[in-house]
Amino acid sequence: MMKAICKYFKIFIETSPVPLLWRGVWVRFLLLIVLTSFVLPTNKKITIWMIGDSTMCQYDSSRFPLTGWGMPFAEYFDSSVTIENKARGGRSTRTFIAENRWQPIVDNLKEGDYVLIQFGHNDESKSYPDRYTTPEDYRKYLIKFVTESRNKKAIPVLITPVSRRKFDSSGNAIETHETYSKIVHEVAEQYKVPLIDLDQMSIQLLQQYGPENSTLLFMQLEPGENPDYPLGIHDNTHFNAYGARHIAELVLQGIDHLHLDLAGRIVHAKK
Amino acid sequence: MADKEVIAYPETGWGMPFHYFFDSTVTVDNRAKNGRSTRTFIEEKRWQPVVDNLHEGDYVLIQFGHNDEVQTKRSYTTPDDFKANLEKFVNESRSKKAIPVLITPVARRKFDAAGKIEETHVAYTQLVKDVAKKLDVPLIDLDAESQQLVQQMGPETSKYLYNYLLPGENPHYPAGHADDTHFSELGARKMAEIVLHDIPNLHLELADRIRVVKQKEKK
Repeated sequence: MMKAICKYFKIFIETSPVPLLWRGVWVRFLLLIVLTSFVLPTNKKITIWMIGDSTMCQYDSSRFPLTGWGMPFAEYFDSSVTIENKARGGRSTRTFIAENRWQPIVDNLKEGDYVLIQFGHNDESKSYPDRYTTPEDYRKYLIKFVTESRNKKAIPVLITPVSRRKFDSSGNAIETHETYSKIVHEVAEQYKVPLIDLDQMSIQLLQQYGPENSTLLFMQLEPGENPDYPLGIHDNTHFNAYGARHIAELVLQGIDHLHLDLAGRIVHAKK
Repeated sequence: MADKEVIAYPETGWGMPFHYFFDSTVTVDNRAKNGRSTRTFIEEKRWQPVVDNLHEGDYVLIQFGHNDEVQTKRSYTTPDDFKANLEKFVNESRSKKAIPVLITPVARRKFDAAGKIEETHVAYTQLVKDVAKKLDVPLIDLDAESQQLVQQMGPETSKYLYNYLLPGENPHYPAGHADDTHFSELGARKMAEIVLHDIPNLHLELADRIRVVKQKEKK
């Protein structure tokens, strides 16, 4: 049987109109087409665009151990993924747009790219009028990020603002973004946007660490402990390298649970 | 970084945060490799290139022991050889007018039933001290100081210093991880801070090159 097939194939090759020299190349070319049609969908190069505030952004090593969760987050993807962390400290949805940080991203979005959106800390801070964004405007700007991403066939993902470290007197981690997290939920539901409830997830993480040990996740340094912060620092909003990694882990878990195509690009070690 | 090291993250060596602490006159060249003892480090020709590139006034921070002291490991080094190798690092550094600093091996997380930390490098830490004394080398007793920190945090909380991960927590360790030797980012930074704080105590000129930052007072 095998012999017969081989013989038939030989006759086919010998009688085909393709010049002898090109036959091997031709076969290889066809093979390449067939193979890449299976491989391409998962290996297509994409970019994850990250927009948000100081809890997400990139920091220079001169501010170490201060770390935005976007920094460790970038360590977990395969080579098909480029991370563009465009988050900036102190920015609200409003100022991020007003400073023309959003339009250049829209201009560069490609089909299949992801846009991770996490704002709230500065939008909700009434004591900083230069950052403050009313709830109505916050909603409006989130919708703008979502619809303009989708116009470019990119995939927006809404993320509720990561929790601040705050416990009540009986040691329960409490909600610190009530109004603004709720707005993210509403926009996600109304526009059917994948949602990662980082606020809730991080509250659970803080609860797991408890009132004392949760300081280990944040920028909490004694005077003289670290040369970059000689006076010490007690910050319940910004994370150190250890805390930022834990927050990144929560977002990665969120991506897994949403069954986004992106989940297939996370590098998992074998069990 | 090699693939294996990328996938090891968040496991962090204390040399990684250590290099953030110095001003622009200092280049930190971290040649440490996991699994190496003094003996295998030399055998794999990892030491000679360091010697070849040493300049007058350079520092050589030397911390070995974890892989030397384990008799069942391929990297095992006898106490005599361990001492001889440390002396080699010291003498050859000095012959290039570089300044060697000996560091006792950082503590493992091991507690007795009463919650008291146990010394896990008894013999080899002592050997480091012996060599430091014999050759008059600046010594950082990282073993004792890191034990103090681990003791202060206690049996439960000290896990945060080490690479402990729950199942499903981290993509690089899907089944979770419990490591009482290697550090998390937190532990690595704390160990680096210990070493850093000892440098001024040793009256090394290196102390003048620790970054001086004028921190803004918080509003």
